[in-house]
Amino acid sequence: MNHENAQAGAAGRLMTEIAGSPGETACGPVVSAVALGKSYGGLRALDAVSLDIFPGEILALVGDNGAGKSTFVKALAGAQPPDSGEIRIDGRPVALRTPRDAAAHRLGCLHQGLGLVDALNVVENVFLGRELRTNVLGLVPQLDHRRMRARTIELLERFGIALPRLNDPVLRLSGGQRQTVAISRLLLDEVRVVIMDEPMAALGVEEGRRVLELIKTMRSRGISVLVITHNMEHAFDLADRIAVMKNGRLVGVVPRAEATREKIVGMITFGTLQ
Amino acid sequence: MPPAAVTARDAIGHADRRLMFEGLGLLLVVIALAVAFSLINPRFASATNLVNVLTQASYYIVLAIGMTFVISSAGIDLSVGSLLALVTVVGFDLIKGGLDPLVGVVVMFGLGGLIGCFTGTLIAYVKIPPFIATLGMMASLRGLALLHSAGNMLYGLPPSITWIGQGSIAGVPVPVIIALLFALFGAWLYNHTRFGLHVRALGGNREAARLAGVRVDLVEVAVYTMMGLVTALGGLIMIARIDSTQATIGTAMEIHVISAVIIGGTSLFGGRGTIVGTVLGAILLSMMTNALVIAGVDYFWQLVIMGAIVLLAVAISNVRERRIPTLAFLLRRGQAAGGRA
Repeated sequence: MNHENAQAGAAGRLMTEIAGSPGETACGPVVSAVALGKSYGGLRALDAVSLDIFPGEILALVGDNGAGKSTFVKALAGAQPPDSGEIRIDGRPVALRTPRDAAAHRLGCLHQGLGLVDALNVVENVFLGRELRTNVLGLVPQLDHRRMRARTIELLERFGIALPRLNDPVLRLSGGQRQTVAISRLLLDEVRVVIMDEPMAALGVEEGRRVLELIKTMRSRGISVLVITHNMEHAFDLADRIAVMKNGRLVGVVPRAEATREKIVGMITFGTLQ
Repeated sequence: MPPAAVTARDAIGHADRRLMFEGLGLLLVVIALAVAFSLINPRFASATNLVNVLTQASYYIVLAIGMTFVISSAGIDLSVGSLLALVTVVGFDLIKGGLDPLVGVVVMFGLGGLIGCFTGTLIAYVKIPPFIATLGMMASLRGLALLHSAGNMLYGLPPSITWIGQGSIAGVPVPVIIALLFALFGAWLYNHTRFGLHVRALGGNREAARLAGVRVDLVEVAVYTMMGLVTALGGLIMIARIDSTQATIGTAMEIHVISAVIIGGTSLFGGRGTIVGTVLGAILLSMMTNALVIAGVDYFWQLVIMGAIVLLAVAISNVRERRIPTLAFLLRRGQAAGGRA
C-alpha cells in the first residue's frame, strides 16, 4: 500500500467514524475494507474505499450505476482482488484472492444474476463446491446425497423457507425461489457476513418481500449483511446504516436514524455529505 | 407448510424425473425398433445377430460414456476417431514388435490420457473453443497415425489381447461385459461423485461453478483426459475384436459417438445428461446400422442416414428444451388452449 492510499484510507475511516457506527461498536467490525483501490485500464473503479461492517448489522450500499458498488463487493467476495488496500477480518489483514478464500473466512457473497447452475437441482446447488461425501467400503469417496438433502431440509426449515421439489433443476423454480436457494448456499456455510448484490432485483413484490424477511431473519441470527440496492424503500426498510458511493469513492455512511431520503439522494447525486 | 413434508417422498440423489421418463421413452423406442426390424427381416432377431449388435455397440457405449462427460461440460470432442487410430496403431505396432502385451496396453492408455490432457489444456488454459481445439487435434492426430503406419494394415495380435474382443465369459462376450461394467462405473461417476457434479456444474454455468469454488479449468482438463483414456479403452476393444487396425480406422466415428449421446438425451448445451440414455442411444444406433447392413443398404447411404439422425435428434432435443422460440410459443399457446377447453 503506497503512502497516498494510506492517507486516503485514514480519511475514509475517519469519515465512517464521523458518520457513526451502530450500538455494538465495542465488538469492533467483523470486516474492514481499508483504502481499497481498483483500476480497469484508465478507469478508477475503486478509489481508496474504506468501510467497516459490524456484527449483526445490515449495511445498505447505494449509489448510481458505475459508482463502484459491484467492484467493491467483488473485492470483499474474493471474486476480483483489489489492486491496492487491505481487507481485515476481526482486525487481522487477510488475502482474499479467490471465492474460496472468502468462504474460508466465512464471508459469503450472493452474486448479481444469482450464480446458480440451472441444470443442477436444489440440493446440488446448495452444496456445490462444499459437497458432503462418504466413503464407499471405506475407500472411495462419493457424494452423500442423503446427508446433503437432510441438511438442506433442516436449513430451509430453520430459516422458514418453503421450496418444492428439491430434485428438480433450479431452472424450473421462480425468481424468488432461486434467490432463496442462492441464500441457502450462504447460510449453509455458517457465514458471519453475507454480501448481496441487488438481491431483490427482478423479483415480484411478494417474492421481494419474502427475501427482505429472510435478510432480517439472518440479522436476528447474528449475521451481518452488506446489501447493494437501487431501491431506496428497501434500503430504508432494511438497513441499520446506509453507505453511499459515487465515482468509485465512498461518499459517506449514515445511520438509519439520521438518514432522510433527501440526504441520501443528495449524496448519491452530488457526492457530498451535505 | 414445512418443505420436508412435500419433498420427503422424492427419491434420494440427482435423479430428475423428467430425465427418468425420457430414459424410459428411449427404452421403448429401442424395443419398438427391434421389433420392427425383426418383422421386416427375421434375420435381425436371431440370437447370434442380437449378440453381434451388442458386441458392436460395446465400444461405442464406452466412447459415448466418455463423450457424455465431455458434452455435459458444454464441450465436444471431434478427435475421438483420430485419437483412436493413433493409439491403436502405436499400441498394435509395439505389441507386434515384441513388447509385453500388458505394457503395450499401458502405453495405449498413457498415450490416450496424455493427448486428452493436452487437448484439455488447449481448451481450459489456452482458451481455444472445444470445437476448434478438437477439430485441430482431429486433423493432427490422423496425420500422426498416417505418418506412423504409412497406411499399412496391421494384424495378428496375441491371444491374450484378442480375448478382450473375441472371448466370452459364461456365453456373454467380453466386450459386452466390459461395456456393462464401464456403464455402471460411468453412471456412478456421473451421478454420485464430486467429479461428476463438478462436470455438470461446469457445463451448466461455468461462472457460477467458479464462484462456488469449483476448480473449473482443472475439471475441464480432467474431462478431456478422461475422454483420452476412454478412447484408448474403446480402441483396445475394437482392435481386439477385429484383430487388426490401420491409420484410417475410426474415420467419421465421432459422429456416431456424439449421436449416441444426443439421442440419449444429454443436453448439447451442457449440464444435463444420463449415462443410461447414452447406453440406450449407442445400442439404438448400432441396431440401426446393423439393420441397414442386413437390408443391404450401401455404406454411403448409411452415412447419409446417420447424419440425418443426428440432426433430427438435436432438433427434437431443442423442441423438448423449448429452445426454438416460435415453436415454444406455439406449444405454450396450445397448452393454454388445452387448459381452457
